[in-house]
Amino acid sequence: MADSGRQTERAEKAVRHWRSLAELADAPEYRAFLEAEFPREADPGGISRRRWLQLMGASLTLASVGGGCRWEQEEILPMVRRPAHRVPGEPQRFATAMDLRGAALGLLVTSVDGRPIKIEGNPDHPQSRGATDALAQASILQLYDPDRSGKLVQGTAEGESVQTWDKFVEFASGHFGPLRKDGGRAFRVLAETTSSPTLAAMRSRLLEAFPEAKWYEYEPLSRDNERAGTKLAFGKVYRPHYHLDRAKVIVAIDEDLFCDHPAGVQYARAFADGRTVVNGQMNRLYAIECCYTPTGAAADHRLPLRAQDIAVFVAALEREITGGSGSAHGKDGESDVGRFVVALAKDLKARRGETVVAVGPRQPAEVHAAAHRINAALGNIGNGVVYFPEPDADRMPHRQAIAALASEMNAGKVETLLVLGGNPVYNAPADLDFAAALGKVRTTVHLGLYRDETALLADWHLPQAHFLESWGDARSWDGTYSIVQPLIAPLLGGKPAIELLALVLGDEKSSGMELVRATFQRIAGAQNAQTPWRETVHDGLLQGSGWSPEKPAIQGAAPQADRAASLSELVWKQGPLEIVFCGDSSVYDGRFANNAWLQETPDPITKLTWDNAAWISPATAAALGVENETMVRLKLDGRELVMPAYILPGQAAGSVAVGLGYGRSAAGFVGGDARRNIQSIGFDTYRLRPLQAQEFATGLAIEPTGEKYRLATTQDHHAIDTVGLKARAARVGALVRSASLEHYQEHPEFARHAVHHPPLISLFDEPEYPGRRWGMSIDVSKCIGCNACVVACQAENNVPVVGKERVLEGREMHWIRIDRYFVGEPDRAQVDHQVMICQHCENAPCEQVCPVAATVHSSEGLNDMVYNRCVGTRYCSNNCPYKVRRFNFFNYHKNLDRPGGALTKMVYNPDVTVRSRGVMEKCTYCVQRIQEVKIRAKNQRREIRDGEIKTACQQACPSQAIVFGDLSDKSSRVARDHAADRSYGVLAELNTKPRTAYLAKIRNPNPELEDAHHVDDHPAG
Amino acid sequence: MSTITLPAEDNTTDDPRRRAPLTMGGQTLTSITETVARIAERPRPPRAWYVAFAVSSTLTAALILAAIYLIAVGVGVWGNNVPVAWAFDIVNFVFWVGIGHAGTLISAILFLFRQRWRTSVNRFAEAMTIFAVICAGIFPAIHIGRVWFVYWLAPYVNQMAVWPNFRSPLLWDVFAVGTYATVSLLFWYLGMIPDLATLRDRATSRVRRIAYGIFALGWRGSGRQWHRYERAYMLLAGLATPLVLSVHSVVSFDFAVSVVPGWHTTIFPPYFVAGAIFSGFAMVVTLMVPARAFFGLKDLVTLRHLENMNKVILATGCMVGYAYSIEFFIAWYGGNPYEQFAFINRAFGPYTWAYWIMVTCNVVAPQAFWFKKVRTTPWMMVIVCILVNIGMWFERFVIVVTSLSRDYLPSAWEYYRPTAVDITMLLGSFGLFFTLFLLFCRYLPMVAMAEVKAVLPHHHAAGDWQTPAPAEPHANGESHQGIRYPDQVSEGH
Repeated sequence: MADSGRQTERAEKAVRHWRSLAELADAPEYRAFLEAEFPREADPGGISRRRWLQLMGASLTLASVGGGCRWEQEEILPMVRRPAHRVPGEPQRFATAMDLRGAALGLLVTSVDGRPIKIEGNPDHPQSRGATDALAQASILQLYDPDRSGKLVQGTAEGESVQTWDKFVEFASGHFGPLRKDGGRAFRVLAETTSSPTLAAMRSRLLEAFPEAKWYEYEPLSRDNERAGTKLAFGKVYRPHYHLDRAKVIVAIDEDLFCDHPAGVQYARAFADGRTVVNGQMNRLYAIECCYTPTGAAADHRLPLRAQDIAVFVAALEREITGGSGSAHGKDGESDVGRFVVALAKDLKARRGETVVAVGPRQPAEVHAAAHRINAALGNIGNGVVYFPEPDADRMPHRQAIAALASEMNAGKVETLLVLGGNPVYNAPADLDFAAALGKVRTTVHLGLYRDETALLADWHLPQAHFLESWGDARSWDGTYSIVQPLIAPLLGGKPAIELLALVLGDEKSSGMELVRATFQRIAGAQNAQTPWRETVHDGLLQGSGWSPEKPAIQGAAPQADRAASLSELVWKQGPLEIVFCGDSSVYDGRFANNAWLQETPDPITKLTWDNAAWISPATAAALGVENETMVRLKLDGRELVMPAYILPGQAAGSVAVGLGYGRSAAGFVGGDARRNIQSIGFDTYRLRPLQAQEFATGLAIEPTGEKYRLATTQDHHAIDTVGLKARAARVGALVRSASLEHYQEHPEFARHAVHHPPLISLFDEPEYPGRRWGMSIDVSKCIGCNACVVACQAENNVPVVGKERVLEGREMHWIRIDRYFVGEPDRAQVDHQVMICQHCENAPCEQVCPVAATVHSSEGLNDMVYNRCVGTRYCSNNCPYKVRRFNFFNYHKNLDRPGGALTKMVYNPDVTVRSRGVMEKCTYCVQRIQEVKIRAKNQRREIRDGEIKTACQQACPSQAIVFGDLSDKSSRVARDHAADRSYGVLAELNTKPRTAYLAKIRNPNPELEDAHHVDDHPAG
Repeated sequence: MSTITLPAEDNTTDDPRRRAPLTMGGQTLTSITETVARIAERPRPPRAWYVAFAVSSTLTAALILAAIYLIAVGVGVWGNNVPVAWAFDIVNFVFWVGIGHAGTLISAILFLFRQRWRTSVNRFAEAMTIFAVICAGIFPAIHIGRVWFVYWLAPYVNQMAVWPNFRSPLLWDVFAVGTYATVSLLFWYLGMIPDLATLRDRATSRVRRIAYGIFALGWRGSGRQWHRYERAYMLLAGLATPLVLSVHSVVSFDFAVSVVPGWHTTIFPPYFVAGAIFSGFAMVVTLMVPARAFFGLKDLVTLRHLENMNKVILATGCMVGYAYSIEFFIAWYGGNPYEQFAFINRAFGPYTWAYWIMVTCNVVAPQAFWFKKVRTTPWMMVIVCILVNIGMWFERFVIVVTSLSRDYLPSAWEYYRPTAVDITMLLGSFGLFFTLFLLFCRYLPMVAMAEVKAVLPHHHAAGDWQTPAPAEPHANGESHQGIRYPDQVSEGH
């Protein structure tokens, strides 16, 4: 009861900002005014029993007379004074930035009638260039999450009490003021890592005010090893940054450059640009990794190695490069890994100065240092690899910070702990027992987006404002300074961290904007005094504020110890396993656990939704007697966790990877909430993660429990039998057409000859399209399978989320499916990604069979879906060879009636119909965006420019794999793509005449490694 | 040549010198009326009827509840998904439409082919047709996502100014099944008018007299009425005959016209028609054997009738088996890898169990009918026929589900599992069928009395096996003439 009451209240709060800020503040004057103006409104609970019966009687009568047949009435009033530049219904776009992984991604947020509905990348931002990743796309849903914290809660001995900010201000002045006396000796702050200069400024101010206090930063997924590596190599902390556009050979060592790097969006773009064959040249990517990542899938050569073996590999590579040819002697050179090292080294040396060797944050500092030495030896520094001075070089590493804080807390040295964001109770190392340590702190104040695990143990929980509703600033990976501007007043009354710090410091002026502005003045002043504030807010970034690279020199030589290890011993046979802790592609470190869009986004490689699993390679699983979807007991250092196994081809043998961020007990309605008896999604792998092995650990024991668990994958929902496997292997080549660069140069039109078929004749007269002919092309060479398009489409087109059970039943609703095919022998499988959406066939099989003509062709060749007309026979879906049609088996928008639904439904795009139950839906080529541009062009009496219409998927795509446009304009990019030699239509032999063309995948394998791999010749695993 | 002595109770032996009698037990005009009309006039049916009715009406109630649940919550209560967007719904639809085929075949085609043995079973089979089509019609109507707009499939003038899509086989279905249901109902009812008049005339209570009287449409048995009646009957038979072939052909177009591998084959129309007749006859035999035992109709529905039907089952079963094998041949010969896979996947893929149930029941089981012993032993033929019905349901399951579950893109492959609602609705449809059937047994003449009378031995020309029974006066204005066959007119008597 209490919960539902709270929710209703929250929902009411959610709509408040629409009326006035005074109401939001719940000012007493406003209450009085309200009482006078709307007596009932002021006291909703004051209905007498008699009045209630009267009302019930009357409504029953009305219902029986026919009142029940009416739609709910709603009054819409125009604004008396329209704010400047606001045209009702006309979308506006505002620049802002999202700070994640300690770096900013510049965004451009679309706002309709005052509510932000869609996130795009800021085209001017060097990291984004208009693209985004899946997490940024989904963050808009987080803004409207009704489970987000909207109340200040004070936990006292008597229980919880809901407080106001005024009360907290009162408390803060009474509490933090006296702390200054002893310099804040027992005052600690635990913050998340951000790139915000304002927050850094606030930190210095706080440490000035409380000189004895300490400021700790903790992130469960940190790049501290990278920092330590530069320190080791150069004697100073630097931030490596890669110019993949300048690189001909890229080596990603346990590093997901595209999907798990703060500059991933930029890297994906630069990499994809290099995939285009220019003058017979394209870049080559090697990936050496333990878990399958999108980077590994994009690689021309991928070597699965245990995380612990990578150090040996890198040492061998370094020897091979620095020691001249033939260094990997004897037996080592014969092994698969040895040959890989030799070939890779040769390739790198041949491309001196045009290569990048990148090592991932999971690897220890020594490996990073080795990579820096390799880069230096290859002359990459200053070309493909640049180094920026790290802005916060003196910061204590996260692991040490959390350990130090925990020991101080246990020792009773901490009396006041201020947690700024973050959820250490959930994600701190398991052996620290942070929750118990927190019990020894007298006063804990927690600021968070959610009332999460940490908040529940805190004495004060304060709601944090979402980045879309607060002022702030951030720097991108290369230092570009962005201003985070709010798109909407805080919906739930939260405050950003900088404002809270101002409050703790007792500032008179604590508005976020002023704080940011002060920082801006300082930064812009140093940069360029002329740059006005408004312009920067408008552009979303301060041009030229990126750091200038330095050219550090290597200090010291490679350590000798590594030489002992042999490459041929790197093959796991039997014995103890390794466990690798990975950030999750959907929930990151757990902070997005309550984001239903992300939960339902299939992992790029496993296609798993709504769960995490222990990834085990087929060979390892066979050796351990583990089958897919069996529950296994993982034992590490006396800690145990039972979770399902997922057999992942291409996972390094002997290595078990587990995703972090699941098994939340206080995430919310979606991710799990013990207080409301909502089961957690997935399994909490933090419980296994020790302080000393935050990245990976050896000595893992696994035993199958014999129980089965159902994992909701969107592909291969069940084990595929031999018949199916053979057929799949036979088909993949025709669906995802690919060739090596060499083959492509000999046979540029190979993709067109992959499938031969008799002449295609249509039964019906084929319509002509004298005007525009919309079409799309998808470059398979560029697609990295990162899911940005999937979430972008979901946000743009109001695609519902269906939940784990429905995914298991095969009823996911995504309009874009990224098909993933494993090719090659299971333990070394290669991954091919293929974006599959409605192909808008000119001769569409779906149109012919619809009995009510609910799916028809437009005059511009779009395969339109008329929702109003659809009765739901589902025949179109059966007859769609691409199976891209999605059916509303249930009313997926029913939850909008729940408390909080009023908030959730603000996320909907008003230009797109929300589909009802029983209706078929599918990709429309973002027809609403086409219409918007058409109208604009018509009003301006001009033609539509090529590239002016961007579909949501195209706009979000970091690698620019998707192109949309008018096929009748022969000079348009899409028409050129359709005419390109690599262009082919999937299943075009059915005479569907698809309007979506695929550009065949070109791989650039190293000829010397081809024999060792045979990836293209083997049947699928 | 020595004289062959034939046992009096066996009319299944063929003696080329004599025509085997179509009724047994020395039937007279009165005895036939008595035998058939008594069933409907009995104040209380046998206890078994009540038991059966209780079971079947419970299942019907389950069907109705499941349908209400489905409509209230959504199609998602079934196991259907994408790619298997059609599953039990369409399987049941095709199954029941197929069951309906026996009735029309017996009444129309056998009528035109002058197969007089049809008279004893045609009423029964036609009734089954009607009930089966009712069961069939429910599924496509409620399987759509927005049931409340089902009328949009009909071409009616509307303010939306939209017309259905005449290229869609689903629309053809609406017409084909609609026509079929209408003609079958008319045919059944028309044939029943003289018998309803008999029941009216024999009625002892006012209610029965009025009820049967209304439906007898004032039949008096006059020569003019008989003349008109026979003309109409013949015309309807002529109309219904092409429908036997067209309905299931059109139903098969739902599949054959699509691009789904495993559906897109030209063999489907004849294969579906043969399968429909196969399943329809199997259902008639399954129901006829217990019905003739319970209601004392053994002399009218003789073993010879059953044997004839079993022969049809054997013949159509072989056709179906041939179709199964030719599908494989064409898939191989056609060289389309997707189609080849569709068939290999049926036989050896995840639904291999369904495929081999189908083959065992539809191809292997009816081979037992090569043996006369099986053809003429009621319990044996019931077992075979039940197997055939199971097999034919699985045939539709195999066609619909296995083809959809794995079509072109392996990434979209999916396994389909029925839910409890799916199974309830399948059982419920049987419940509805049997409920209607039991009501039919209880209140309507199960055997076409007037028609059987026309094929009594004494109505035949000389040379019949049994001596003619003496003529006797006809009571209650009942016709002694019965229905005439086209060839009888010239034969005269």
